[in-house]
Amino acid sequence: MCTYSYKSQWLVWAMLLGMASNSLAQSFEIIVASDEIELSSEGYHQILVQAVDAQNQVIPEVNFSFYSSAPQIFKVDKKGLITPLEPGQGNVIVIGRLEGMKDYQRLNLWVNVKHSEGTDLKITNLPSGIFAGQRIGMQVQLLDVQNYQISNPNLVFESSDTHVASVDIFGNITAHQKGKTVIKVSSGKISTETVIAVKKNPVTSIELSSNVQEAVTGEVVYFDAQAIDNEGDLIAAIPFIFSFTGVSASPSEYASGMIKDNGNFVADVSGIYTIVAAFGGREARRTLQVSARNVTEKVQLKGHGTVSNVHTSDLWVWEGIDGRDYCVTGTWGGNGEAYFWDVTDPNQLIPIDTIRVDARTVNDVKVSEDGKICVISREGASNRKNGLVIIDVSNPAEADIIATYDEGLTGGVHNVFIYKNHIYALSNGERYDIINIEDPKSPKKVGTFELDEPGHSIHDVWIEDGIAYSSNWAYGVWMVDVGNGMAGGTPSNPKRIANYAYPSGWNHAAFPYHDKKTGKFYVIAGDEAFPNGLNTEDGPTIPAGFLHIIDFTDLEHPVEVAKYEVPGAGSHNLWVEGDLLYVGNYNAGLRVVDLSGELMGDLFKQGREIAWFLPADAKGRIPNAPMTWGPQPHKGHVFFTDWNSGLWSVKIDIIKPKNIKVEKR
Amino acid sequence: MIRKSQLLCLFLCVSFIGFSQTYFLYVASESEDEVALIKFDGSQGFVDEVITVGYQATEIEGPHGLTIDPSGDFWYVTMAHGNPFGRVYKYATKSNKLIAFTELGIFPASMQISSANGMLFCVNFNLHGKMEPSTVSVVDPFAMEELMQIQTGAMPHGSRISPDGLKHFSVAMMSGELFEIDVMNMEISRKLNLDRSLASMHKESSDAVDHAAMGHVMNHETSHQDNHHSAIKPTWVSPHPDGQRVFVAANGKDMILEIDLLKWEVTHTFSTGKGPYNIEITADGKTMIVSYKTEGTTAIWNLDQGRELAVIKNSREITHGISVSPDHKYVFVSVEGKGNQRGAVDIISLEKYQLIDVVEVGKQAGGIAFWKVEE
Repeated sequence: MCTYSYKSQWLVWAMLLGMASNSLAQSFEIIVASDEIELSSEGYHQILVQAVDAQNQVIPEVNFSFYSSAPQIFKVDKKGLITPLEPGQGNVIVIGRLEGMKDYQRLNLWVNVKHSEGTDLKITNLPSGIFAGQRIGMQVQLLDVQNYQISNPNLVFESSDTHVASVDIFGNITAHQKGKTVIKVSSGKISTETVIAVKKNPVTSIELSSNVQEAVTGEVVYFDAQAIDNEGDLIAAIPFIFSFTGVSASPSEYASGMIKDNGNFVADVSGIYTIVAAFGGREARRTLQVSARNVTEKVQLKGHGTVSNVHTSDLWVWEGIDGRDYCVTGTWGGNGEAYFWDVTDPNQLIPIDTIRVDARTVNDVKVSEDGKICVISREGASNRKNGLVIIDVSNPAEADIIATYDEGLTGGVHNVFIYKNHIYALSNGERYDIINIEDPKSPKKVGTFELDEPGHSIHDVWIEDGIAYSSNWAYGVWMVDVGNGMAGGTPSNPKRIANYAYPSGWNHAAFPYHDKKTGKFYVIAGDEAFPNGLNTEDGPTIPAGFLHIIDFTDLEHPVEVAKYEVPGAGSHNLWVEGDLLYVGNYNAGLRVVDLSGELMGDLFKQGREIAWFLPADAKGRIPNAPMTWGPQPHKGHVFFTDWNSGLWSVKIDIIKPKNIKVEKR
Repeated sequence: MIRKSQLLCLFLCVSFIGFSQTYFLYVASESEDEVALIKFDGSQGFVDEVITVGYQATEIEGPHGLTIDPSGDFWYVTMAHGNPFGRVYKYATKSNKLIAFTELGIFPASMQISSANGMLFCVNFNLHGKMEPSTVSVVDPFAMEELMQIQTGAMPHGSRISPDGLKHFSVAMMSGELFEIDVMNMEISRKLNLDRSLASMHKESSDAVDHAAMGHVMNHETSHQDNHHSAIKPTWVSPHPDGQRVFVAANGKDMILEIDLLKWEVTHTFSTGKGPYNIEITADGKTMIVSYKTEGTTAIWNLDQGRELAVIKNSREITHGISVSPDHKYVFVSVEGKGNQRGAVDIISLEKYQLIDVVEVGKQAGGIAFWKVEE
């Protein structure tokens, strides 16, 4: 508890003069005993405060108000009593006012709610026995009396018999010989101990084998290590440590790659790699020759429909009911238009109709499986009532609005999808509503899906095989059963299947990828990020972000296994067809990536990129500034939109190199 | 030899130059994610600088509310759309550079800073959410930290503070309530059901006084949140400089309600044009300016006489916000526009009751705040 002292008054007054400089008048000053308050999470603190005039005379008429800047850490009542709630820091803002005066004085008091003394030390990961030669890092938690974990505690580690096992200052235990030792961990006055039994290392040799001796970059090679005892028998469940060294084929490049705890290895560049499996002082080595993947192909530009008056957003290409091929594109920051194109001849992309709705941005466009119904999203409506628009595209040259729908969607529809007579429409970035359009003139909401997480938000939803893949920024990718049946979900009763989030919180798009050859099921989750801002009027933009390849084969335990990142560029929308990945990589244009085989590590470094195309257009909305939004393969061509230059079509002749083998494991 | 008339002319020119004034204000363009600094010299206005705001580059985040710090050193803009929560951003008026931001609730909208404790009060409009009570955020603008959220009604809007800085007023559009927050305690001190209070005012004077029927609800009373859609649909509240009354735009009833703060009830009404939306009252308390959003006009009222003096057609169809120069000479009205049409600031003379200039800004001009006038 602090006490107010007149002895120190002048000193404090002088010290705090500057802190009240934001006040509108200097008729009085607020003084306190200390502007830094430290209390334990079990205590209380009464702020003692007074106001004095320039002659240091107390002004009792001044009323004080107290506010907590960190209400989750501590609260402060009207009389200045601080009650801590949990460890942390914040400010008490003290406002002093004279009744009837408009001016006020202000003072900030720094409050540090400390942990109570640590009362419990927990070792969370040690096995009862380890083998001589083995090394294990200890994990220790220090908890206070209220069970809050104290971060960065000062820990001291000791071993009672360092001949048996020693422990370093970071808590890494190295077992030396058979025997028992007591490992003690201390933090101040409290400590905990555990007995470690070191067993004789039974491993006399290690055999290391692999499925291949030669591989290409990006190809996952499986190394199996087997431990053998002195009688030549195999020993099960030995936790080998795998590592590798390598020499690149290029003198200006270092050998790099990734190796996992199970011995799976992938090389980024060509060269000679040595894989090492080690345990308890024993090790085995195996050499692998890696050559370049060599999958690069050229892109042939076929057609381009310049859109120069407005930014272009998403696209959808489909075969119309007349057998011709069509495309619809949206617009961004414009007049609420969607453009319809005849793309039957990819060399000639011919605009055939325009739909205009009350919006500034038509961000997303989709067409039903039968090619008859198009849905477009609306954002920036003049009356702030956004929603979606349903269009009859039986004859895309005379596209006809047949219904608008905004119930529950007025906050803006950023993305939509059509799947089996239902529209999946994002609402205000909070959820997606599921709308039945069996009668497209009379759409009816039948279901909704919203995360039950604090501060959740959503950016996109994509449906395949009755599973909705939504992208939820910080909450990552969510798979939801909307008719697949595996979780009993329906459009009116969507059910969660699985989800995965990654630290950056940039999850913007997702696309499923079933690799029948390897048996793997991936979801490719794309980022969107603009750390350098977005140039909407002139000059290029340098976004950031990449694609996260998440292995969902075990739905209960999804794991991120690989990434595709173009240096200096940002990722946006994507599409997978067969084992080819098409990416709208914003400033890096269109990219085509080889997904064949198991995916692991850095796909860009591994040379899996097959082709790229930069859609520069001197007549674009921003001239010569590629900003590729999204691709869609269709009948052997790839169509894509570019934010600055409209619609494009290209052709890529993919000839897979013969030296890529795919193994199911 | 210089003639007397020439001297007089020269004197007048020098006088005019000597006393010419420049007015500065900010306006936000909700569908452009930009804020424009506008200067007006008494006859012509122009955009001096455009500041791009927001962080989600390819999404329309919707700058909605604007306010200026009492010191004039900072301006603040609310961004309606976030992930999912909106934000308030703090910029320096000297440089128009971003200083800091903090996250608020869903669709933060109008706001003002109290002169009594320096705190910023911002309504979380939650325009597109469920018909449930939303909140008023209290932000410490020095540290840019949200201190708390005070629950009010459904779709709170029109965040304005009494002249003495001690009371914050907001109205809930959907639940039809007027909320008064004690700025120093940061608690709701009173709320008024406007539909009921208006109905009560219309009753025969012989009716017994029934405070409940008049819509009074003190903060200590338990009352169920009204989830009905208010027929009044209040969109704005503006305290009168005399500190005795507030004026509420009854958007759904095409009228302005005058609420006596002592009686805490509707005491007068003013029939207006279609869709009254925002209200501003000149500092001398004599004139009330109302934007008629639905009909795209701006009205000027004499408050002493309770008379509509003029209705001025705006340059675009959707009239939004109002700001008045402190010398009571000019009204600056933001006008949204539709689709690809640019927004505008209409400058109206309060002396001539005429539109004297139109300054084009980004799409869907909304939030508007007067900064300063310079000689």
